[in-house]
Amino acid sequence: MSDTLAERQAAFLAAILDERAPLPAAWGNRQAMGMQVYRGNYRSALIGALESTFERTCRYVGEAPFKQAAINHAIQHPPSGWTIDEAGKGFDATCAALFANNPEVAQLAWLEWAMLELATAPDCEALTPQAFAEATAGFADEDWMALRFDFQPRSTARGVTANLTGLWPALEEGAEIDRPEPILAQQRGCIAWREGERPTFKLVDDAAAAAFTQMQSGASYGEMILALAGDGSDPEAVQNAAMQAGAFLGDWLSEGMITALRA
Amino acid sequence: MTQNIQSIPPFAGFGLGLRRTHYEDFLESAVPVDFVEVISENYMIEGGRQLRILEQVRSQYPVILHGVSMSIGSAGGLDQDHLARLKLLADRIEPLWVSDHLCWTRTSAHNSHDLLPMPLTEEALQAVCANIDRAQETLGRAMLFENPSSYLTFPEDEISEWEFLAEMARRTGCYLLLDVNNIYVSARNHGFSAEDYLAGLPLERVRQIHLAGHDPATPERDVIIDTHDREVADGVWDLYAKAIAMLPQPVATMIERDEHIPPLPDLLAELDKARGIASEALVPA
Repeated sequence: MSDTLAERQAAFLAAILDERAPLPAAWGNRQAMGMQVYRGNYRSALIGALESTFERTCRYVGEAPFKQAAINHAIQHPPSGWTIDEAGKGFDATCAALFANNPEVAQLAWLEWAMLELATAPDCEALTPQAFAEATAGFADEDWMALRFDFQPRSTARGVTANLTGLWPALEEGAEIDRPEPILAQQRGCIAWREGERPTFKLVDDAAAAAFTQMQSGASYGEMILALAGDGSDPEAVQNAAMQAGAFLGDWLSEGMITALRA
Repeated sequence: MTQNIQSIPPFAGFGLGLRRTHYEDFLESAVPVDFVEVISENYMIEGGRQLRILEQVRSQYPVILHGVSMSIGSAGGLDQDHLARLKLLADRIEPLWVSDHLCWTRTSAHNSHDLLPMPLTEEALQAVCANIDRAQETLGRAMLFENPSSYLTFPEDEISEWEFLAEMARRTGCYLLLDVNNIYVSARNHGFSAEDYLAGLPLERVRQIHLAGHDPATPERDVIIDTHDREVADGVWDLYAKAIAMLPQPVATMIERDEHIPPLPDLLAELDKARGIASEALVPA
């Protein structure tokens, strides 16, 4: 190890992260034994944090495969943030690579991460359907087309093939429910948000999840309709898309997912 | 010395760490503790149930914010985001005090999420004191720092850990959180006298004591590990009695349990044991 405190700390941490890293020449057996304790602490803290965040994923794949996935994730993505919870960031991608033949594993991990994120998200007031109706009462067509929404902080959506609504309760601690068929007959969407203080999720039409993500990224209501209508050249398709968008919007409002309008 | 920070008056009492397992116990009825301590980082969040529960508990009990990620010994300085969020939490909760550990946890690249040992050198002391000054100035309050458990010492060490702590407190005006179990663990691991350690500290700067369980050494592993997963060991109770008898002012004593957390009545019984030992230790011989 080198001379300055900064260099010594960098070398010490490198030795914790990589068991093959050389120890300082001046170190004896006592220091080597101590380093073993710090390496063990590091590994067990990260595995413990991942087990805690992804408890259902762990139950689904089993303890040993999960532990291997956790170690793999920790090696590839050593944590850098001050909160150990961040160690779970990107774990769904690790699962996608390690359990490539079981896409439900990565999707379950994605949902557990989303639920953790929602649990500590900023509190917010939902825009009620009544408030929405009042705010849009005088809207002309062009106002509707330009309308944008603010969604609950950290609410999220994606397409899924995993039977998440079946797996979630079956994998709860102490659950005595038979595990369902893990894969859905056809792809659907999943939206995760918060009901008051309680993170929740539901499966929706795949197009609804895509529309949610599109609008969350800043698209207007009009842009959402055009995306649903395909190329937009068929007036009937546009009409149907407008009705579909209205149904999505009604659902988002009734579930309290929208917090504000931006006209 | 950190400028313009107020002194922390002594607080006498017995408390527990607030853990999720016991949320309902604390919300449903009065728990016989004088304060609760929470891990600061668990509440340095933006919203949700956990933060609301802390505010509810705070309305009933004094709360201590105890951190594990300040990394006061980092050569690269403090994490600005961590410090800003800690200040927000402290302003929101108005804690009895804010504490962390004499250790480092990270470099600019990675975080170990473990309390790593400081080399006991003048260079390290200067880095620690500069970081403490910055933390105390940002928070607008004096802090407490806890002596860590350690599993190795460095060949370059120049002074003892108690001399390091004493000088750190003198230079910055910070206070000390005496973890009696950590003294016991480090004394056994490094072969120094726990009594010498106590005698070498500026005991008038101690405001709090931690008690916890540890994993004893084994034939295969000649190191005691601080685990917080079991009852306080007899040798630690003995050292606690000595510390209480030596301290020139009353302090806040708490039991730490972070793994294998038992039902609340079990922890309250252990806290009663601390009350009894402290009471006996203060009876003149």
